[in-house]
Order: sequence, then C-alpha cells, then structure tokens
Amino acid sequence: MAEYFGATVADIFNTMPERFKPEEAKDVDIVIGYEATGEGGGKWTATIKHGTLKVEKVEELKGCKTTIHADAEIFVGVTLGKITAIDALTSQKLRVVGDARLLMTLLPKIFVPFTVTPRKKAVSARAILATVESRFRPEKAEGVTMNIGYDLTGENGGQWTLMIKDGRCTVREGFAEDLAVKLIMDADVYAGMMLGTIDGASAFTSGQVRIEGDMMAAAATTKFFHKYVDPNAAEAEELICLRVTNSIDQRFASGPVMGRWFAGLKEKKFMANKCPECGRTQIPPREICAICRVRVHEFVELGPKGTVTNFDIVYFASPDPLTGAVRDTPYTPIYVVLDGASEQDAFAFELKKEDIDRIKVGAKVRPVWADKPTGSFRDVLYFELDR
Amino acid sequence: MAGKKVAICAVAQHKNEPDLWYKRFQGMLLDVLEDLQAQTGFDFNEDTGVNTIVSCSDDFFDARTISDNGVTDVLGGHYRAEEKMAQEGLNAVGYALAVILSGHSDLVLVMGHCKESQSESRNMISNLGFDPFYGRSVGLDYMNAAALQARAYMTKAGITDEHLARIVVRARQWAARNPYANAREILEEGRVMASPMVCDPIRQLHVYPVSDGAVGMLLASEERAKEFTDKPVWITGFANCMDSYFLGDRDLTGNVALKKAAERAYRKAGIKNPRKAIDVVEVMDAYAYQQPLWMEGLGFCEEGQGGRFIEEGGPGKYKVNLSGGMLAGNPVIISGLYRAAEAALQLRGEAGDRQAPDVKSAVAHSTTGAAGQFHSVLILEA
Repeated sequence: MAEYFGATVADIFNTMPERFKPEEAKDVDIVIGYEATGEGGGKWTATIKHGTLKVEKVEELKGCKTTIHADAEIFVGVTLGKITAIDALTSQKLRVVGDARLLMTLLPKIFVPFTVTPRKKAVSARAILATVESRFRPEKAEGVTMNIGYDLTGENGGQWTLMIKDGRCTVREGFAEDLAVKLIMDADVYAGMMLGTIDGASAFTSGQVRIEGDMMAAAATTKFFHKYVDPNAAEAEELICLRVTNSIDQRFASGPVMGRWFAGLKEKKFMANKCPECGRTQIPPREICAICRVRVHEFVELGPKGTVTNFDIVYFASPDPLTGAVRDTPYTPIYVVLDGASEQDAFAFELKKEDIDRIKVGAKVRPVWADKPTGSFRDVLYFELDR
Repeated sequence: MAGKKVAICAVAQHKNEPDLWYKRFQGMLLDVLEDLQAQTGFDFNEDTGVNTIVSCSDDFFDARTISDNGVTDVLGGHYRAEEKMAQEGLNAVGYALAVILSGHSDLVLVMGHCKESQSESRNMISNLGFDPFYGRSVGLDYMNAAALQARAYMTKAGITDEHLARIVVRARQWAARNPYANAREILEEGRVMASPMVCDPIRQLHVYPVSDGAVGMLLASEERAKEFTDKPVWITGFANCMDSYFLGDRDLTGNVALKKAAERAYRKAGIKNPRKAIDVVEVMDAYAYQQPLWMEGLGFCEEGQGGRFIEEGGPGKYKVNLSGGMLAGNPVIISGLYRAAEAALQLRGEAGDRQAPDVKSAVAHSTTGAAGQFHSVLILEA
C-alpha cells in the first residue's frame, strides 16, 4: 500500500473508530463517503448516527449525504495537516460534493486528529547519489561536458563519477579517466552537505572537503542539479523557526574630515589626507594618524590611476542582509595604491569583470566613474586595466 | 579595598547635544582625548604611557558589530591593548580598575561614546534588546518596560505626577549650571505636567532627551597617579549585579539587584551608612520616577517611601544629580561614565557652578537593560 507522509489512506480509516469521540457526535446523523484515487486509494463510507460510528470499505459510494474526493496523496496530506484543506479545496485537488464546511467544522469536532509517529531514517551517500540523475537540470548545463569524481571515504563510502554530456547526467561507480575535478570527503560529510546540515563552504575551508582539479568547475556544478530533498524530512519533528527582518534606519555623519573624501568623489577626485609627520595618505581620510597620534589637516588629491598590490576572486558572495541580493560572481576586489599615495596605504575597489582573467599584482588601473556622482563610494563603478 | 589603590587622574566630557549631525563620533572622542592629554600630559609611549584602552559603545547605536572597530585609531588602540565594554559604561571603569589591580597595567584610558541621534528610533533599538520570540513581538521596549515599572512603583511609594514634575524641574535647574548638559532650559512644573503622555504614566518631559555624547577618563595605579594629577580621585568600591532578563520574573519595585550591588560596593569601601558617609550622589535617572526608586536601592530612602523622600527634599539633602542627571540628557550606554565623571569633578572641587562644598566621597550609579535589570555602583573618594 502506497505511503504518503508516512501513512497510507487505509491507516486513516483503520484508526477512525479509536479516534471517534461519541459524546461529540450525539446529535449527528450523517453518512460521509470518501474516495481516494490513484495508488493506495479506495472508497470508504463513515456512517455516524447518534454517537455511533461505522466505517466500511466499499465498492460504490451510495446513500452518502456528502462525499469527499481526492488523490490518495492529497487525501493523506490534508488529513495530516501537511496540506492545508482550504488550499486543496480552492485548487480543486480536493473535491467535496455536498457540504464542504463539515471538513472544517464537524470532522475536527468528532475525531481526534490523525497523526503518524515520526520515523527518522538516516540517508546514505549512496542513496543520495542514486537521485543525482533525476535531479539533473539539463537547461543549466547546456554545452557542458565534464566528469566529476566523488571519492567518499569511510564506512558508507565508495567512488563514483558523475558524467555530464549532451544534456544528460549519468552516475557510475568508479572513476572515469578524464576527471575535471575530484571531490574527496567522508561519505557522511557528503550526506550532511546534501541534507543541508553541513555548510559546503565551511566544510571546504575547514578541510573536511578536498578538491583536486578545477575548483571553479566544482563550484559551478551545484547549479546543474535540483536540491536534494530528504524523503524522510517530512517525518521529522517540526521545530519552529522565526524568520524576521530587522531594520532600523540610520544616518551616519561623515564629519568634516571624511566628508572631504565624499565631496571629492562628487567631483570625480580622490581626496586623501596626509599625516604631517609620517606623510602617509589616508583613504578614507581620518581625524588622526593612528600611528603618529597627531591630527591630520592637509588634503591631497591622489590618482586617478593606481597600481594593483593585491586582489582576490570571490566565487561565493555574501547576500545583502536586508535585500538578499547577491553580487554577480565571480568578482574581484583589488587593492590599489593610487598614484601619489604612500606605499602602505592601498585601498580596495572592484575590478571590471572583463579584466578578471588578466589581472595581476603590479598592473596599472584607472577608475571608471558613474555618470552622475552623488558623493558615495558607488561613484567609482570599478577600476579597469589601464592599457 | 585592600592593598593597592586606583585613582581617576582626569575626566573629560563632550558636551551632550541632541543631534551632532555634523560630527563623527570619532571626532567627538578625539576632542575628549585631547582634553585628557592637556590635563595630564599622558602619552602613548610603550613603556611609560597608556598601553591599555577600555572603550565603551553600543553595537546597535553604532550599527556595526564590535563597534570599537570604528574608533580604535582615535583611542590609541593601534598596536596597544584595547578592549570594549559591551555593557553600561560605568563597568568600563570597573574593568579598568581590575586591569590595574591585577598588575596587568598601571595606566588605563577609558573612553565611551554614543550618538543616539544616529538611529531612526531609540525605542526600535531597545525593542531589539528583547528576545525575538516573545518580548519583541509583544512590542516591549525600554520605554514601555519603564512605564510598567513606573506605575507599579508610583503606587507603592505614593509618587504623584506633581512629584515627577518637581524632579524634572530640579534636574533642569542644575543642568542649567552644567556646561556639558544637553537639556538646560529651565522648566515650570506646569509645563512638565502638561507635556504629553508618551507611555502612561510617563510623560514626554519625564524621559531623558535623545543625546549624543562622549566621555573619557584616565585611571592610574597609586604609584603613578601623582605623575598625572595632584588631585587624584580614589576608587574605593565597585560592584554590579544582574537581575532576571524576563520582566515578569522580577520584582520591579524592590531594587533587588541594585541593593546587592550597593551593599557590595559599600562593603568594599568600608561604608556602613551611606546617608552619613556619602556627600554627593549621581544616579542614572533615565526617567523621572527612577530617581527616587534608585535612591531607595542605594539606601538613601526607606523602601516604598519615595513620595515622602521627594516631599521632604531628599534629592537636595543628599545632593543628588547636581549635574542635572540623565534627565538632562546623556546617551544611554555611557550615562554611567558621565555620572562618574561628574562625581569625580565634585571630589576635585572642579564642578563650577554646581560644586557642592567639602565633597569627600561620592557614589556614581548606572543601570542598563529593561527597567533596571542590571546595576553598577562606584564609590569615589577624594
């Protein structure tokens, strides 16, 4: 018998007598017919009369005042409260002939709700890998040909290759010869990452996951697949999580010192201030030189060109905490010493995306400004290679 | 306090303002720091100068986590020891005291700042002080937690709307003499009583005004204090005490935590009867009703007798808040530092028009959390 949400349709009717509350049904006189279609379905009637209940599995729904019809899965889902009855009704997935209100009024009154005991099962890496082919999204992997190896260690481990080619993904045991990338980790870590209990990026940075070969390919693969859903998840105990966005508007003073920097940006100029003792140029300008401990009054215009002293390439961008917007990746923050700046005072800007492949330390760069600068850091759209 | 002693060598206050929109808090702190250096001549020399800084600020008001990050350069924190008191500012003094008594350092700079004007709403920030499931969703903030306490306390102690008006009027009279105070305008009782109810029984003028400020002080061991001042102010007692986070768990009018903090601080200072031993008192009265309530907790008034205390001129008799107190406006996280700074000025005889005669000992009090959850008490002597 087919199970949905950990229960069968028959379970609902078999437990009806023990869930029945005769004292609540003293004045009730009704025959309700139930039809669950599809796998695991069937027809039942419940005859309720003056505090008594008779449940029968029938071939034909006859003499019913109200009948309820749904697919077996919807049937179980609604009964368990996993699917909202009103949603099922309005979407026509649940059909009631007769008085639909009794779903919400009479039935909850005369029956103790139907529940299933949670049975939490561990999911193995092997079971997850068995779903890879069905989770593949060919539209996301157009034109991709790649073999990805999984070397899963530990008790539940093994070696597999995911072969992506011509809009299809096949999984086979063992390694193919031409792996673009090989991911090495404990099988339980893999299962945890797939189930969402282990964060992939953290597992990588903490050394639980090793990647041999093309790191970018490894990062790109995630979007080729639908997320794995634990088939047992619905059985787990529900823990309530509160999702809230906290937002308090703030107004930050830039003050007369840092304010000069923003005023400069408005005119497409980089205005730093210069320590009278050590000569360092500060971006953004600050009231004091923290090293020499003197007030800094003199302003100097730097750049606009500069030299790259450092950079990184971000593949996993943090979302904006309020909007959830994520920068387009990869992107490259570069540290630039602007012309005329003191050597140790590099400053971070973003590099033009098209230049990422050619960036290196020592490269000369120039700013690209917004059409209408407003006096904010965003006035510099990015830096580009100066060639 | 047995053994070694610790002195406050100098204090400096930024004037409290309702909206310092034109100044970064870094700039405010720098003014305070330069004031301290001018008074004492201290520097940041690795061997003989300040090498430990205790800052105090609030992450939510500064809108950044680990909010000291924004100010360490100004405070001299670069390449030196720097730690932030993420708690009411008076505890930064307590922390600096511990650093010196432990022998870890003999010279500590304490610096606090807060710009309440930076945020859209103080109440929204204090709402976030409550837990996300329960307190926030029922709309609690410090203001309405205070109003719950106010109603309960006013009933218990026989405090009337007139009494509260008198407290505010007196606060403003003293604030008018304090060049660092924010709200210095003289008020009549009628105006206080005609000010709108913001959270019954709390009226608008019973609430401390939105304030921006910064305070600093230099603390030194007994051996080194004389290098920086000839008028050291000695810390002879310090204690704090925490009460339950959940308002419903607490006796809102019983001063349980404050009494314990006061008892411990008095004991350390060898004070048996504060009414006789203490010459001036600075209490953190964020709301008018809190002044008599905290005076009960500090032992200057019998429990539940706040109404009579006001009637009989208790605030004048015990020289309470000659600075104007918090009612004249200090930002919330550093009000205790302002209390300590004002107490220190009184002990040094440098309190200008608000100076009381012959001040030998003083108590500075602060509180944080909803309706006085956490209290700190500092005893200072000349």
